[in-house]
Amino acid sequence: MKVKVDPERCQGHTLCAMIAPKVFELDEVDGHSSPISEDVPADQEAQVAEAVRSCPEQAISIS
Amino acid sequence: MSAEEVLPDADRKKNRFHFDRHTPEYRHQFESVTQEMQAKCPIAWSDTYGGHWVAAGNREVFELARSAEYLSNDHDVNNERRGYKGITIPTPESMKIQGGFLEMDPPEQRQYRQTLNPYLSPAAVSRWAPVVEKLVRACLDEKIETGQIDFVDDLANVVPAILTLAMMGIPLKQWTIYCEPVHASVYTPPDSPDMPRVRQGQMGMYQDMFAQLAAIKGNPRPGLIDALARVSINGKAPPDMELLGVMALIIGGGFDTTTALTAHALEWLSEHPEQRERLSRERDTLLDPATEEFLRFYCPAPGDGRTISADCEIAGVQFKEGERLWLSWAMANRDPSVFDNPNEVDLARTGNRHHSFGLGIHRCIGSNVARMVFKHMVTAVLDRMPGYQCDPAGAVHYETIGVIQGMQHLPATFTPGSRLGAGLDETIETLQRVCDKQRLAEPVTVRKAKAEIVH
Repeated sequence: MKVKVDPERCQGHTLCAMIAPKVFELDEVDGHSSPISEDVPADQEAQVAEAVRSCPEQAISIS
Repeated sequence: MSAEEVLPDADRKKNRFHFDRHTPEYRHQFESVTQEMQAKCPIAWSDTYGGHWVAAGNREVFELARSAEYLSNDHDVNNERRGYKGITIPTPESMKIQGGFLEMDPPEQRQYRQTLNPYLSPAAVSRWAPVVEKLVRACLDEKIETGQIDFVDDLANVVPAILTLAMMGIPLKQWTIYCEPVHASVYTPPDSPDMPRVRQGQMGMYQDMFAQLAAIKGNPRPGLIDALARVSINGKAPPDMELLGVMALIIGGGFDTTTALTAHALEWLSEHPEQRERLSRERDTLLDPATEEFLRFYCPAPGDGRTISADCEIAGVQFKEGERLWLSWAMANRDPSVFDNPNEVDLARTGNRHHSFGLGIHRCIGSNVARMVFKHMVTAVLDRMPGYQCDPAGAVHYETIGVIQGMQHLPATFTPGSRLGAGLDETIETLQRVCDKQRLAEPVTVRKAKAEIVH
């Protein structure tokens, strides 16, 4: 599984990092999210799927 | 869009609904109004308040809120641009002041947010956790031996107010000048005989805000006001009135909203003691989703107004430039097409993409503060007053939910316990020294460490 955060859509709601803290990191200055690595570890796939469902801006995509 | 395709008004506005969120009836019938609008007219035209659109469906609110190119938040108080009326419907008559960057559009709005983000990001906010912990402890200590507390007056009103002032760089002991006037201005109906007293309190607050801004301009001390005192917008220092509007936005956003969320959550938990025990027991995994669920369900700021800035068609409706629009976060949060059993609280709810902090470029800049303060207050109550019982006869909800879905009083009883430390006044003095010495209110770009409090 690969994960992307659209930086144009992300507004820093921080839910993804709350749900999958091993996958998403938040910018120190504005709290916007980005994946630590595009490749999702196998044991994090369920959390990432839940982050996708929970993002208020629908900014996260997986492939 | 060609001229032929533009529908006459009668067709554009064929979905009509008499929508008046400032009446007590709207509060009492919120669920049925929401269901009816989502089923029949997820975007409706209402003739109330000079006529405006209302978006109630989740998909419609989502699409509209993110169409920044067709929506304006501008509140043009001096009629220098297009005369737009900002985010409140109807426009308040009392004060002609722009509501900070929430009543601005980019690029000015973006410049303000970039200036303040380093004070309010998750990393910046987590530095304040020890301060919040001490404030909550002191508030509960004031009441712990008596077995009686008003969760609004004695806790949820107090902590967000003092923390907000600390982050701004205002002396903490000034909190009483700000706290009651902010809440009273929200819960007092415009025609109330109490209004002159409320206005007087607000005047006192604005006088202190102006004095703080002037003092910090002359003699800088860290905090959000210092950032505003030095800000350059489009290459110029903004007028003081504009900066006061930003300060009022931070105060208005920081005080009453977290109070409202906390009071409603504590009330619900009192009514559902098994869920309360479960939340306390499983807090490591349940506190985060439960917080989002209380945000979804009790949506403290139920919506925002916008002005259509160009003719457009969104979610199947043709809008015309200049028309007003109400985006209902609260109703969007109850849409069954997104949320199963939307009118039930499910502490472990998943896929909870609620809209309670807004959407798009105007996402609540204080959302990280709100979550942190809420979680500290609720868990401290669960630890120190685990079997508390709210008194339904003494609970006072705001009569209307047009501005804030809040509570004025929430008295409760509990098994008395022992104090753990100093009272509130002494704690405020201690925390003021910590703020000053450690320069806690610096942005995260300057100071990264958490507050250190010895006792």
